[in-house]
Amino acid sequence: MPARLNCSPARVAGRVLRPQSASSLSRASAAIPAVQQQTGVPSRQYAAAASPIPLAALRLPENYIPPTKPPSARPVESRKSQLLRSYTALLRSTPLILFFQHNNLTAVEWAAVRRELRKALEEVPKPVAGPDGGLPVDPTDYIQLTVLRTRIFDVAFKVVEFFDAEAAAGKSNAYTHDLSATAYEAIKKANLEDPNSTYAQISPLLTGPVAALTMPTVSPAHLAAALKILAPSAPAFPAPTRKKNPGYHEPVAQSAFQKLLLIGGRVEGKAFDQDGVKWVGGIEGGLDGLRSQLVSMLQSAGLGLTTALEGHSKGLWLALEGRRTQLEEEQNPKKPEEGEAKAEESS
Amino acid sequence: MLTRFITEVNTKFNPFSAASRSTRLFLANLPANARANGAMKVTTSLLPRTSTEPPMLLIKFKDGKEMSLDGEKLGIKGIVEECDRHSRTLQKQADLNE
Repeated sequence: MPARLNCSPARVAGRVLRPQSASSLSRASAAIPAVQQQTGVPSRQYAAAASPIPLAALRLPENYIPPTKPPSARPVESRKSQLLRSYTALLRSTPLILFFQHNNLTAVEWAAVRRELRKALEEVPKPVAGPDGGLPVDPTDYIQLTVLRTRIFDVAFKVVEFFDAEAAAGKSNAYTHDLSATAYEAIKKANLEDPNSTYAQISPLLTGPVAALTMPTVSPAHLAAALKILAPSAPAFPAPTRKKNPGYHEPVAQSAFQKLLLIGGRVEGKAFDQDGVKWVGGIEGGLDGLRSQLVSMLQSAGLGLTTALEGHSKGLWLALEGRRTQLEEEQNPKKPEEGEAKAEESS
Repeated sequence: MLTRFITEVNTKFNPFSAASRSTRLFLANLPANARANGAMKVTTSLLPRTSTEPPMLLIKFKDGKEMSLDGEKLGIKGIVEECDRHSRTLQKQADLNE
């Protein structure tokens, strides 16, 4: 594990582009051996011989670039490392992802799909209140349909699922970001076949051409609108009619929707198949709707419980009461009989 | 892959099983304009996640031949090979008739 040097890569990369002065370069070269001396063998210490170099000079300069690791010449947006980081961020922040298989859609067809999707999402009424009574957040602008690069997405999924950066930070001094060697070792060691992990359930989906519809919130209303366009099914999620939405029935759009195939989804970190996704889309009123259902269910369960508990005691009481009256009735008619018997005896 | 002579493709698979991989890749191999003008009828039905049914792939050709291929055993290369083997004979006949 390499020791953590006091030199942030971002700042170094930023400085690379600037012309460097000769003095800073010379300072850098002077500092290298000093640092190597310090980090090489930490156990060896010489109490008597104090270093003539002041401590501040032991730090690597901000613009130091290791000669074996020159900065990449590729533009930032197209780097695989950047893609991996964006995928891990996506997986951590997005509660609802739908996976679609796209079979050779042309660019025009993609444009038609995105146009129809946007149109359908804009018709969804905006939320009145935000989560936990905060300001309402309209997710419409952030719902995106993007083509995934499945191999990198697969690795990003592993990093998110099997690598705990906070736990790793406590163990050693090494870097713990998503691209670090620590993360790599963690996903190498992980048991990928474990059927309980979401990764093992979802990874078979990530073969072939896959696109993802990402939603920043679990909003069943928006999900239902998207399903009506992308994966319509007759009773619950009907496709828009020709009269209402002629654009949907254009030949280009129709041939695009034929080639899109909903294969599954990931909702709140759990794997869902097509029916599961449709169930989520069918929840009325969203999370609040589910909560109200739960409340009403608990209330009715409480009522049922009390009546059920009461029922037995009531039944017991009724049975005992019935027996008592029966016994009393048996005893009461006896008294007059006894009286009669006494009368007979006396006579 | 020769897809000119395919008239119908019927598939049924469970995307959550690794066995469905080659069947899904076959669907992805069909060209972008295959479905245009009713040249090819492609029907796909998805099985639920818990299903253990093997993936089904049924291909019908212009001469009426029906092929039911086992994607799990053949793999995508095997499926394409089987398809092309029959398509090439049809291609030969079409060339002779011209």
